[in-house]
Amino acid sequence: MLLQRIFTTDFFFSILRITAPILFATLGAVIGEKAGISNIGLEGIMMISALFGSLTAYWTGSWAAGVLLALIVGVIVSLLMGFFSFNLKTDIILTGVAVNMIGSGGTLFLVKVITQVTEGTALASTTSLITKSVQVPSVNIPLLKEIPILGDILSGHSVLTYLAFLLVYLTWVMLYKTPLGLNIRSVGENPNAAASVGVSVLRVKYIAIGLSGAMAGLGGAYMSMYYAMGWSQDMVAGRGFIALAAQAMGAGEPLGSMLAALVFGLAQALGIKVSSLGADSNLVSPIPYLVTILGLVVFALVGAAAPGSGTPPPRFRPPR
Amino acid sequence: MAEEYVVQMKGITKVYPNGIAANQDVDLNIRKGEIHALMGENGAGKSTLMKMLFGLEQPTSGEIWINGEKVALTSPTVAIATGIGMVHQHFMLVPSLTVAENMVLGMVPKKSGLLIDSGSAIEITRKYSEKFNLHVDPTARVCDIPVGMKQKVEILKALVRGAKILILDEPTAVLTTQETTELFKELMSLKEQGYTIIFISHKLAEIMQITDRMTILRGGKSMGVYETKDESPEKISRLMVGRDVVLKVEKGKAQPTDTVLRVRDLEYINEWGKKMLDKVSFDLRKGEILGVAGVEGNGQKELVDMLFHLNQPNAGSVEVNGTSVLGLSQRKIRSEGVALVPEDRMLYGIAEGGTIEENLISDRSGSKRLNRGPLFDMKAIHAECDRLIKDYTVLCKSGAQKVKMLSGGNIQKVVVAREFSNNPKLIIADQPTRGIDVGATEFIRRKLVELSRSGVAVLLVSADLNEVMELSDSLIVMYGGQITAYFEDTADLSDDLMGEYMLGLKQQGPEEVGRVCHE
Amino acid sequence: MNKKQSLLFSLVRGTAAILIALLVTTLLIFICADAPDGASLGAAISAKLTQTGGALHQLLIGPAFRSNGSISAKNLSDILAAMIPTIFTGLATCVMFSANQFNLGAEGGIMLGAFVGALGAIYLRLPAGILPVVCVLIAAAAVGAMMLIPAVLKAKLGVSEMVNSLMLNYVVMYFIKYLLNTHLADKSKGQVQSYPFQADAAIPQLVDNGSKLSWGFIVALVFVVLTALFMYRTRWGYAIRMIGINQDFAMYSGMKVGGIVILSQVLGGVLAGMGGGIEMLGRYTAFSWSALPGYGWTGITVAILAGNNPAFVPFAAFFMAYLDKGCNLMSTYSGIPAQLIDIIQALIFLFFAAEQFLSRYRQKLVVRNTQAELKSKAAQTEGSVK
Repeated sequence: MLLQRIFTTDFFFSILRITAPILFATLGAVIGEKAGISNIGLEGIMMISALFGSLTAYWTGSWAAGVLLALIVGVIVSLLMGFFSFNLKTDIILTGVAVNMIGSGGTLFLVKVITQVTEGTALASTTSLITKSVQVPSVNIPLLKEIPILGDILSGHSVLTYLAFLLVYLTWVMLYKTPLGLNIRSVGENPNAAASVGVSVLRVKYIAIGLSGAMAGLGGAYMSMYYAMGWSQDMVAGRGFIALAAQAMGAGEPLGSMLAALVFGLAQALGIKVSSLGADSNLVSPIPYLVTILGLVVFALVGAAAPGSGTPPPRFRPPR
Repeated sequence: MAEEYVVQMKGITKVYPNGIAANQDVDLNIRKGEIHALMGENGAGKSTLMKMLFGLEQPTSGEIWINGEKVALTSPTVAIATGIGMVHQHFMLVPSLTVAENMVLGMVPKKSGLLIDSGSAIEITRKYSEKFNLHVDPTARVCDIPVGMKQKVEILKALVRGAKILILDEPTAVLTTQETTELFKELMSLKEQGYTIIFISHKLAEIMQITDRMTILRGGKSMGVYETKDESPEKISRLMVGRDVVLKVEKGKAQPTDTVLRVRDLEYINEWGKKMLDKVSFDLRKGEILGVAGVEGNGQKELVDMLFHLNQPNAGSVEVNGTSVLGLSQRKIRSEGVALVPEDRMLYGIAEGGTIEENLISDRSGSKRLNRGPLFDMKAIHAECDRLIKDYTVLCKSGAQKVKMLSGGNIQKVVVAREFSNNPKLIIADQPTRGIDVGATEFIRRKLVELSRSGVAVLLVSADLNEVMELSDSLIVMYGGQITAYFEDTADLSDDLMGEYMLGLKQQGPEEVGRVCHE
Repeated sequence: MNKKQSLLFSLVRGTAAILIALLVTTLLIFICADAPDGASLGAAISAKLTQTGGALHQLLIGPAFRSNGSISAKNLSDILAAMIPTIFTGLATCVMFSANQFNLGAEGGIMLGAFVGALGAIYLRLPAGILPVVCVLIAAAAVGAMMLIPAVLKAKLGVSEMVNSLMLNYVVMYFIKYLLNTHLADKSKGQVQSYPFQADAAIPQLVDNGSKLSWGFIVALVFVVLTALFMYRTRWGYAIRMIGINQDFAMYSGMKVGGIVILSQVLGGVLAGMGGGIEMLGRYTAFSWSALPGYGWTGITVAILAGNNPAFVPFAAFFMAYLDKGCNLMSTYSGIPAQLIDIIQALIFLFFAAEQFLSRYRQKLVVRNTQAELKSKAAQTEGSVK
């Protein structure tokens, strides 16, 4: 009886809706890691893109412009990250932390300036600015929606939701079927080999981090222009970090990472559902984060037990 | 005549910023379509010379002429454009990519403008593979193929980029016997098609088999160029292995007593399936310096790694004073009285970013005499470090100086000061004087003798002939992962004899070798 | 390059980083400054410039001096009080970063420490002098224990301590929010908060002017000394630093790398927890934090500015607290939102941590130094030959 109340078609619909932003960031993490870049600034990039995207939509009246700008902002921020990490040699982790700081405090700063909100109001947001008309539109796929059950689950999502899952395939194609993907994977696995055949390692890394930022940018647009109405403080809530875990659990591959992201989406959807049935939301919100920790542990244990991992190496060199 | 030479390196000298001359006035002339061996022991200068031919390094002085034209090979890209290709000892391959993908990396054929034309890539790979008789599986991932095939991919990579001159750096170091035979067939086929091959090696048997001519380097200088068919292995051995100056060391006779280190039937197969240690057994006694001689790559590094648990053997036993040390943590191994002067001092031997003092006490930071309760006894630490710096003549401003500011020789003295001063019972010295100045070298050698005569057991692993012959009381020669000779007294050992054992021309019988096991 | 030059170079580099951050800040202030509607471009710009100047004055001078030029003791004691939590998170981060552990859990750690300390303050029945001490100690122990999770997982399984600690921050926050909203809520109050602390639990104030500058400040300084001593004068701190410099070297020298990795993170937790407990009992009378306080992130900036050296943490913390006060003044008097401090922080530490920043300048110094040394050596040999 309880199960029936939980596992409705709406529930499964919501899983896809909740997974989408995590999925964007996850793909960003996947592309970055393939090039050997640990982009922990995805969280901050999502926040910044969410703000700029929704603002642009408000000012231009066009959701498409908003999404486009969010993507561009994501690329710009990540290229700057690349400059600090690759050229100025700031540790990429620290660069990510700095981006996150700007992403949380800097965005709030900007919002307060724009909305003319002075101190005293705890939570500023642009909620009032985003109306239905500039939200990312939902699409009802004609034939699909007729299918019982599946139709209700798969049809009616926003354009960006479909894009997220489509991008899983496109990312796979890029990585495995294009020369760029070949270069990215080479640079990530053996930069010496790439350099020895004339591939510009620096250029490839910039492209990779730029793509990573573009994904996060789309994720940010999703958050402020569909998932919620407008930008609000702390709205990304760690999705950028969960994406890192999803990438790790998915063994760095687009498909596997998508499945991992769905697991987190499921955890979050379950939590929301359970809390709507009466459980305290504060008990339910930590579930995705706990699942992440557990997932990483399970993944590490499974990896250690896998064949070929044989004799434990005497060198203490844990992966980052 | 000059025209018949496709490669001419004239009067090449290479001096590194730290003053070490890797090559001195070397001439190298390669004829078109020949397989030319570049021979010498490790440190003779072969790799450096070839790095300059491939544009990875620049000569300090001298000229390089390719196909009758003077060239400046400023980078690998320029070298490749000039038709030179290099197959490195450590493969430049991307493991998760397929053979075909590795082949076309950097020059990927495209279809529809955006996608990889993998059909075309596979086609190119197959075409070249068949043309040169180098059989590779284009669709296999590099991480899944055997080492022999990986090497073929590397050769094909060079050929597909237009190389007419191929440099192979120690190509058989990672191959099994069968793979080596295959490689030689392929090389002969390439030669027939007019390609020129420079073959860097120290493996005498192989050189005799496949090459037309050979240039021998020793100590950075050329010992001349010879027609392979005219020479005997013994003569080549004499040219390769020999000392221009014999540095005698004041030693006094050794009086070895009890066995300290007991190694029995040590076996190790490396990640590529090659057997690097083959039933290695020996004893090392108190008061003696046992040298481990041999050209590098014959198992010496693996042996040292096993002794200090930097790697684990597949079989065998290692005992120090009766206690097995296999698999013990480095802390426990040290508490059994073992000290190691590592081959790679920058990796293991020191913490670059630390001070000299911090590096000197790293193995004794918990000892009672350096601590007063929870805190360090700074006075005691300063006193001990000052004493060590003085005793080991480390040239520095003070113990608070960062260790990376010191010269190579002084850094090694810091390592040695630490390893020798914690009352070791057994010292493993792996290439202890490599790359350091004469003064530091002499000092460290004297110290080793001093310690040995006071009762410490010393295992000296060294590719430096002078060192291993003059410093050791007895020595073993390693070849192909086995101990192939044991000389109880190094006093009257001749260079020629050493050369023949080191290059595998001679081997002692099991009974003779077995004498190194004293129990 | 000798020690003096090295120090000079670091100073120059640090100043450059701060100047760049301030430049960007000035730009942002300028953009945000109000211009009267309908004014001409020139008038608008001059209006903005005046505003910017005023804002900068508040940012840089304001915290120390009042408008009449006298020193504002109240502001300074505010700043010192604000330093208390960030000294502790800065110390915690120094310890963890020194071992090359990128554990970012000081944020959740300080919140948990504050919460546990608050619980003790509400429910433990102990005599006056002992109560706050015990509360702080159990806070420290609790957070130390919590850090075992990312620490052990890293040491034994190689799981990223960074992702783990970030996740834990959120878990801690929600866990505390839950308890705060339900079982521990004081329903009689308007806002969400816990029951009030016992009066005996409060840490006494150093100055009675409303700055909340408690004796916790002295404790913080004591721990600066203790941590510095620990890192540079004990074998465990030594091991932590050596492992951070070269793990292979540490292993080869016989140090227990796994144990030290765990120790560094647990100690980080203990310090962060202590900071939380002290901040809570020194400043508040009930627990009302419903979000992560942000002290952990400031602690990272402090650690980077201090070069992971505990001895410099108070200076870095003072610097950040000063700027923070300046931003608060700016927001009160010029309407520039206080979140500017986050942007400043991020910029400063981006440049501070950039090794190649001004590296060409460092190269020139090294070259000049070497040439000078060679010249003097040559002169010496010439002199001795003569």
